Amino acid sequence: MQLKKTYLLFLSLIFASSFAVAQQSGASNKVKLLTTQTDFEVGNYIILKFLVSAETKNPILYCSNSYGSTLVSSNIKNNFIEFYIPDNITKKTGIVNWTLVEESQNLSGKININPKAEVATMETYIGPPSIEAGGTDYTMLVVIPTDSLDNPVPTNTMVNAKFQFLASEEKEDIFTNNLIAYRNINSKRESGRMLVSSESLGINSKEFTINVTAAIPTDFTISAKRPHDYSDGNQITTFFTSVIKDKQNNVVSDGTFVTFFIKNKNENILKTTGTTIEGVAHAKMIHPDYEDNWSIKAYVDGMSESNTISLNYKQVIEDFKVVFSNNNRAIVVGPLQSFMQQMIPDGLHVKLNIYKDNTLVDSVIKTAYNGYVNYTLKPAIYKNGVYRFSIETAGKTKEFNTKKLW
Amino acid sequence: MKETSNKYLIVAILLGLAFHGSAIFFTLETTYDALIHLFFADHYANSWFEPWNYEWYTGFTVQSYPPLVHQTIGLFSLIGGLKFGMFSVALIAIVLFITGAYRFSLMMTANKTVAGYAAVLAVFSSSFVETLHIFGQLPSIIGVSVLMHALPEIYLWLKTGKKWYLATSLSLIAVTVTSHHVTPIFGMIFFIFPLIGMVIMDVSREQVNTMKEVTFKIFLNSFFKLFKRIVSFGMLSLVLIVGCIFPYWLNSKANPITQVPIPHGSRDNFLEITSSGLVFFLIPWGILLILLPYIFYRYYSKRYLFFGLSITICTILGTGGTTPVPLKMLGETAFNILTLDRFTLWASILSIPIMGEFTYRFVEGDFKALIQSKFGAIYHRIIGGILAGLMVFMVVFTMSLNYFRPSQPQKIKMLPIVNFLNQDDHDKWRFLTLGFGDQMAWLSAQTNAMTVDGNYHSARRLPELTTRPIERLENSKFKGVAGIGSLQQFLTTPEKYNLKYIFSNDKFYDPILYFCGWQRLRQLENGIMVWERLNIPPVSSILPKEDVAKWLKIMWGIIPFLTVLIAFVLNIQMLWVIALKSKIKPIPDFLKFPTTYNKFNRNVLRITHIWSLILAIAVFYGIYLFYLKNDSQRSPENAIIAYYDALDFKEFEKAHSLIDPESKLPIAQYMLEISVTDGLLSSYAKMDAIETEITKHNDSTVSAKVTSQWITPLEKIEKVDYKSLSKHKDKWYLQPDDLNNDLPPDQLYSANATKYFNQGRRRITTEATHHEDILKQPVLEVVSAKLVQYDGSYAIIGEVQNIDNVPADVILKGTLYNDDNKQLATYNAKYHIKHKLMPKESSSFRINFEGIAWSRTQDSIPDTFNPDEFTPIEFEEQPTKFNLQAAGNVSGSDLYKNVVLSAIDIKDKTINGNLFNSGIQEITIPQLLITYYDENKNMVWVDHLFVKEGVRQQRKQDFEYQILKDGKVKIINSDMKNIFVNGLPNDAIAGKIVPNRIENHSDAQLQKIDHPDFSYIKIEINTYIGSPN
Repeated sequence: MQLKKTYLLFLSLIFASSFAVAQQSGASNKVKLLTTQTDFEVGNYIILKFLVSAETKNPILYCSNSYGSTLVSSNIKNNFIEFYIPDNITKKTGIVNWTLVEESQNLSGKININPKAEVATMETYIGPPSIEAGGTDYTMLVVIPTDSLDNPVPTNTMVNAKFQFLASEEKEDIFTNNLIAYRNINSKRESGRMLVSSESLGINSKEFTINVTAAIPTDFTISAKRPHDYSDGNQITTFFTSVIKDKQNNVVSDGTFVTFFIKNKNENILKTTGTTIEGVAHAKMIHPDYEDNWSIKAYVDGMSESNTISLNYKQVIEDFKVVFSNNNRAIVVGPLQSFMQQMIPDGLHVKLNIYKDNTLVDSVIKTAYNGYVNYTLKPAIYKNGVYRFSIETAGKTKEFNTKKLW
Repeated sequence: MKETSNKYLIVAILLGLAFHGSAIFFTLETTYDALIHLFFADHYANSWFEPWNYEWYTGFTVQSYPPLVHQTIGLFSLIGGLKFGMFSVALIAIVLFITGAYRFSLMMTANKTVAGYAAVLAVFSSSFVETLHIFGQLPSIIGVSVLMHALPEIYLWLKTGKKWYLATSLSLIAVTVTSHHVTPIFGMIFFIFPLIGMVIMDVSREQVNTMKEVTFKIFLNSFFKLFKRIVSFGMLSLVLIVGCIFPYWLNSKANPITQVPIPHGSRDNFLEITSSGLVFFLIPWGILLILLPYIFYRYYSKRYLFFGLSITICTILGTGGTTPVPLKMLGETAFNILTLDRFTLWASILSIPIMGEFTYRFVEGDFKALIQSKFGAIYHRIIGGILAGLMVFMVVFTMSLNYFRPSQPQKIKMLPIVNFLNQDDHDKWRFLTLGFGDQMAWLSAQTNAMTVDGNYHSARRLPELTTRPIERLENSKFKGVAGIGSLQQFLTTPEKYNLKYIFSNDKFYDPILYFCGWQRLRQLENGIMVWERLNIPPVSSILPKEDVAKWLKIMWGIIPFLTVLIAFVLNIQMLWVIALKSKIKPIPDFLKFPTTYNKFNRNVLRITHIWSLILAIAVFYGIYLFYLKNDSQRSPENAIIAYYDALDFKEFEKAHSLIDPESKLPIAQYMLEISVTDGLLSSYAKMDAIETEITKHNDSTVSAKVTSQWITPLEKIEKVDYKSLSKHKDKWYLQPDDLNNDLPPDQLYSANATKYFNQGRRRITTEATHHEDILKQPVLEVVSAKLVQYDGSYAIIGEVQNIDNVPADVILKGTLYNDDNKQLATYNAKYHIKHKLMPKESSSFRINFEGIAWSRTQDSIPDTFNPDEFTPIEFEEQPTKFNLQAAGNVSGSDLYKNVVLSAIDIKDKTINGNLFNSGIQEITIPQLLITYYDENKNMVWVDHLFVKEGVRQQRKQDFEYQILKDGKVKIINSDMKNIFVNGLPNDAIAGKIVPNRIENHSDAQLQKIDHPDFSYIKIEINTYIGSPN
């Protein structure tokens, strides 16, 4: 609205002034700035006073600062005219250019509005909120103190940046420049939590938190724990790492992913994984169901690795019986006995391979129940004829050639 | 002459309002269409004149459907809400239909009692019941009702030539047009043309003494006499049909329906697909089927001859795909666009006057006399009872259809979803519903949030949708390969559509959501699971729209109501004026041609008897066939199909009843065995086809090879089972299968794990998140990446690692360029990646470049379903370079990593192995990512395998994987220059965190394989947990 009124005024003045020009041709008059002060503190009243001749009528003042421009109308007092610079200009720091718009001559000048040396609010930014320990990674603190009119404070206003990290509490003076004060905060060797705040002219910021996390892991060692060393296919071996640390001796972050590769005696690669808690990763692996020899090595991919350990698993089932009945269509495997002659725990895989004319027709995997596995060869699937069978379990294989089904 | 009110009509209106008026509150909301009209109404209620709607299909215009009904509901909604509006309009529709039926019948039969009977019967017409209570097609009902009101006026105009009647008839045609566009067009052919014929007949009749004397010459003379009136009416109604909804026609021309036709049950062969036959033929015809001989007899009498032709054509077209005739009559295009059940509806409406006449003659006319004299009074009463009983049965059956076979999922409480969308700016993204049925329209009506989906398929615009024969993404699982394929594209590249939230009411879709990189957010109070995808930009605040001229908008907003007002003034207001002037109203001309009912044709009675007998035999034969097919233990095939069906629908008690009772397997044990099996096949599969091959051993034992095809959200599975069946007391039973006896070592065990919780915004405020609450994006490193070509398709493969200290959700987006840096294709990694990575975890990945499936070959859409099917994009030029954008976001969900590769055995290009679940969650779907390396341990390809069965805690699950067939992978480009992580160059950012990366670190741990093209593989495991606890 203000602006609209101003424009209307401006337009009507232009309109009015055209008459003035017509009436006062040739008249010369002198306009002079009486105000000598050019530097003002922000927020104060600013009045520009001019000396004019009596004939001068309603000159206007064109003011512009970095936020925009406006026209100010005058107050005439005898031979003086006064311009009250409006609030929206005096409340902003910076340079104000003014021009007196008068028909005969344009007088112009500029005034500086300087910031107050006070801090009312502080905008503070910090980021990233998490950095890596080791001294190379850093986060940046940016402080923008402003006065009560939301103007930036004068250049070189002191800002006190405060840091707390582990046992140390530090303060550092930084100074504003181009509105802001900033500081790069490098991490230390240790990981942990850093609290940061800042203060300027008695005003304090809120608390900010920086997490300093451990750097990438370094090499570590692994070990294994198991209830027994038999390959019963049922118990679980647990691998764990030593406390994994980075090169600054910080324990790596919880959740760091460690892969354990197991090479068995057949040169096949098995794999289990674990994530660290307090630097230690656990990974579980079920025992093999046949005699085996494992060599185990753990990796944090691309970063660090462990030593290699090896584990032996002893055979539990040395031999097993196979009984054919019901036209050889019922096959009973067992008893399957473990290392103390106990029945093997349920779930041991037994694989029956069925060959006809030396080609594999089918292989059926079943699991042991109470030490036995029963196979029934359905006539719908296996037509009458001569078959060859091989039964594999616990790494042992038994072959039965030329069994006739009918 | 004083006009007395017709008590039958009053009874009909009262009955209709009481019966339909109370029933709509229980039926209308579960119909197919009602909620769609509600959504449109909501649009008009909010922006009457602006036709563009942003909420569906990334924007569409409501000028694609005639607006009158929607605008009326919208107007009423301002009084008492949308549903109030809908029910009010439904009540109006009921009254309009009954009175319309009365006026139409009166005009046809010239007998007020007959017309009264017809009005009462119209209330219980099963086609009306179905259209209103099952389909919810309000505009169609209102359109056809108003058309029936228009018919007497048209008759009078043609007969008398009074301009007043021209005005009234045209005003009613205009209302018909603005409520439903198809009705007046076909109404012209099937209602108005025969009516014109009848008028000419009547005019001819007046020139001679009896109907018999009307010759073709007289007919032709009368036609030329009336020619001017006919043409003037025809031209003016054409002007109205085009003019009243001109923006609609303009829009149809601008956006022609160029989509793949969506299958509709009314085009099926009703004998093959009996459910379609029931819904689209038997129910709408209902009791009229018995009267067909009488209807045809009457309509082929001389006066009604043209109605006879019309109803014949309607009847034939209504048979859909049962005979090839409708296809030949309509032509391929029209056949695939029209829903043919409309013709049956019109045929049944055309039959209403004749049905009224039949009933009149049966109840109090010559027909009664004939039967009583021939068969006695008791027979008449029995027949009357049977007919009335059948009529009531059809009505009850139709009304309860939705109760026994719900066409919609259970009613969903929308409030929690609406609240969720309003909360926290969630409506700044698009959403998608899954498994909501037509209720999605109701959700859209209640929220301002936008969805990529929609429920008015003629308005679809995205090519991903228009190239598929699917109505909605929402129910894509019922639409086979096309449905899931379409859905997968939306799920894989959701950022293209600003799609961030999915409301899932169907567990079926969970695996595909997970493997496409979505994560569960939470379950709402109404049981709907909310899924979200990270790293999706919000919808921009200015969206494109196809604007239309202002005059079109104004026309669209004003004309429909104007037509109603004019019709009201002309037809009802003026009646009052005339009545008040107490001028004696002349008898309408059509009442001058009454039929005398004094001698019922004996032959018609005979034919009706024979016809009824044929119908009865057909019905009983149908029931017998139904029994044979459904008697689950009649034959081994039936037993197997019933057993698999029961398993498919999770009816375990029924399945158990088919297990051999001699096996002494108690149901408790059976349930236990079934309930412990989880996995893709047992929890997320829908049976598609089943084939049994029976080998008979003796009369009471057979073996069966059962090949079943299962659809899962991820892929199609073929399963072969061998079952034995035995017969006891003439019933076939299945033998139970063996169990997996794996016994875990521990009863109780513990596990420690690192868990994460992201607060989101710590302060409770509606402001944008404070900057200190914004987490740093986890730093990822693309360890390797290359563009390769294998088996004809291009892919970017490589390895990505989370090198940060927090878990990351990883989204990879690849773009291909040619030598001239022209962008050729862009796509995201679908499920060839572990989307969730723990700190320092790495994953192989592969980005496929999928085209919009079947966009080129519209006619070769495969019939069978294969969600895994992949349509490689067709490149116009050779891709030579690539750009890879990796984005990490902190995510604390789906981080279960306790799965172990516990055994492996490679033989003859088959890898057999065991997975062992060492943790405390049950793994529902394990996925293996298999990376192939060449002899120099260079990564060349990534493949995947979904293991069909889940892995329970501390148990093993075996898997079998076929190594890829021979085929050299061509590495096109392995330049890692254009790889960016969170917008920063990969090299620079990785170098800061891992400056001294050990290259090819775990190469020593690659599995050697024997293959001509590949030398090593690496197996990684990803897991989907169906119900985390």
